[in-house]
Amino acid sequence: MSTRKPSYTNPKPCKHLSAYKLKHGLSGYKSLQKCLKTTPNGRTSVQNPGTEIPRCSSCNGYQGRLYICLICSSISCSSHALLHTQSEIGHYLAVDIERAELYCCACSDQVYDPDFDKTVMSKHMVDLPYSTNSADSIGERLCERKRLGSGVELVDLKKAEKSALTRDQRAKSCYPLGLRGLTNLGNTCFMNSVLQALLHAPPLRNYFLSDRHNPKTCRKRTANRLCLPCELHGIFSAVYLGDRTPYSPAQFLYSWWQHSENLASYEQQDAHEFFISVLDGIHEKESKARNQTRDTGDCQCIAHRVFSGLLRSDVTCMTCGFTSTTYDPCLDISLNLDTSHCSWSDASNKPVKPNDNSSSSTLLGCLDLFTKPEKLGSDQKLYCQNCEELRDSSKQMSIRKLPLVLCLHIKRFEHSLVRKMMRKIDSYLHFPFSLDMTPYLSSSIVRNRFGNRIFAFEGDESDISTEFEIFAVVTHSGTLESGHYVTYLRIKNQWYKCDNAWINEVDEGIVRASQCYMMFYVHKMLYYKSHEDLSRLPISTRIEAFHRVAGCC
Amino acid sequence: MRKSVNRPPTPDVMENQGKEPTFQELINIELIESGEKERLMELLRERLIECGWKDEMKALCRAFIKKKGRNNVTVDDLVHVITPKGRASIPDSIKAELLQRIRTFLVSAAL
Repeated sequence: MSTRKPSYTNPKPCKHLSAYKLKHGLSGYKSLQKCLKTTPNGRTSVQNPGTEIPRCSSCNGYQGRLYICLICSSISCSSHALLHTQSEIGHYLAVDIERAELYCCACSDQVYDPDFDKTVMSKHMVDLPYSTNSADSIGERLCERKRLGSGVELVDLKKAEKSALTRDQRAKSCYPLGLRGLTNLGNTCFMNSVLQALLHAPPLRNYFLSDRHNPKTCRKRTANRLCLPCELHGIFSAVYLGDRTPYSPAQFLYSWWQHSENLASYEQQDAHEFFISVLDGIHEKESKARNQTRDTGDCQCIAHRVFSGLLRSDVTCMTCGFTSTTYDPCLDISLNLDTSHCSWSDASNKPVKPNDNSSSSTLLGCLDLFTKPEKLGSDQKLYCQNCEELRDSSKQMSIRKLPLVLCLHIKRFEHSLVRKMMRKIDSYLHFPFSLDMTPYLSSSIVRNRFGNRIFAFEGDESDISTEFEIFAVVTHSGTLESGHYVTYLRIKNQWYKCDNAWINEVDEGIVRASQCYMMFYVHKMLYYKSHEDLSRLPISTRIEAFHRVAGCC
Repeated sequence: MRKSVNRPPTPDVMENQGKEPTFQELINIELIESGEKERLMELLRERLIECGWKDEMKALCRAFIKKKGRNNVTVDDLVHVITPKGRASIPDSIKAELLQRIRTFLVSAAL
């Protein structure tokens, strides 16, 4: 972990700090370590060796910020800290008692020293029996996987680039290649909308268009049984053929019905449910073909390579601060809408006006809500390994590993246990076209928990790009029982509306005003790469871009 | 030979014993020893984040640093400039809630 370039910068130490470290080394930090106390939520403070309340040695006050001198351990308040350095030559450095942060009294400023933070954090790690062993192994496996994946992606991209050049002439109409309507086969707009998004997911497109799943060899192996990836391959070839007449994905629908028999009917279905079931179907086939029996976390099938991410969930005991960490693979992230401001009663009898509570919900707000520590109620106490008792705990989610294509699903369908009914939340949600996921990564979340420390936390990987661009939005209009799904696709910064068989160019304002249900984001580099406008970039950035993509796959 | 560190004279024991702690100090000690102070601070932190006070302060700090230039600002400057504004803009409802909490604590501690 130490060899990797960290994502934080290391500020230059002030001259007092350098002088102090030259003279005293780390002995001051070491002796201070014994007095450090950590709270369950990760904050660290300095506790007086005696039980007494710390007081300023000059004015005897105990309020405000107090600093303990690193050389003579005398305590001064912020207004007398300068006085202390004047009376005692060389006693410049002190530690903020409340926050356990380094402070230079001569500069009257906070200073940063990685060694100091290491001291604090190592104390913390000892204090809290952190379950890190599992994390390490997962991290290693991910690195391994990344290495394996990058080569493959590279080939994919090269091929796609080449084939794009040859195919350009076939794109006769003014619309970009690959835009083709899908006919409605009887309430199948849920399927068409998700298919449109899948058809334009760059990594998935590269995979199928470069014949990585060959129906001929597949058919031999599986002896004519129906195969979802084969059907997808068929749709991909049909759509990217250049033909503009609507295509009928009947064969695919039939295959899917075979795969998930409980959903096989002409009734309306949930698009998200369909999405999950299709990925499941692809995974089933592909992993069988590759003779992989490993669990989904490491699966090399195309569905998991593109959509699978890793969520980290920390459950912290509110009494002792013990944190148990688990990692779960995920295909998408389901986000709760912030519904505190619209009550059940007004939603059930009349439709909510679109501009009613529009200003409040944003996608970033939903993500904040998702990664916010959540206190588990007193009725659901969890067993703490450290206390060996049932305790109140808090739970926090974060994203350990981002997928290539990030699918965000908004929980618009709400089920109330109290009222025993379902309802749809119609409120408007603002979403950005470019999304930076950095604040929601495990490294940022864990870092925030411990305050400003210059310390390499697990998964601090600066080389992984966290910037995403949107390429598809699945929207839902109507009610819970009956409604309509429409997909908006973003190709070369132009939005297209795919409503079953009809495809139109639309203004971005219409997309912004739509009622989004599922959003598909892809890594920024992959988004721009997939649009063949590399020729406009100068050579040097093109090469750099290529490396960046290789790193993030 | 290790050079001994320069320590201030040990404080006079007699000097400290002579003073009775004030009532305010007594409350403070009780708050700390029972752990209530930490809980109150956690509650306050949560409320201030919820109501957007923290983001507001962050924005003020950013604006101040931008104005002065990022290399000419120390933490102390920031504390001095922002503290009065921060104190003034804490919502009354939060103050009332904390006051209520402290009151109930004092009653239960029977000081």
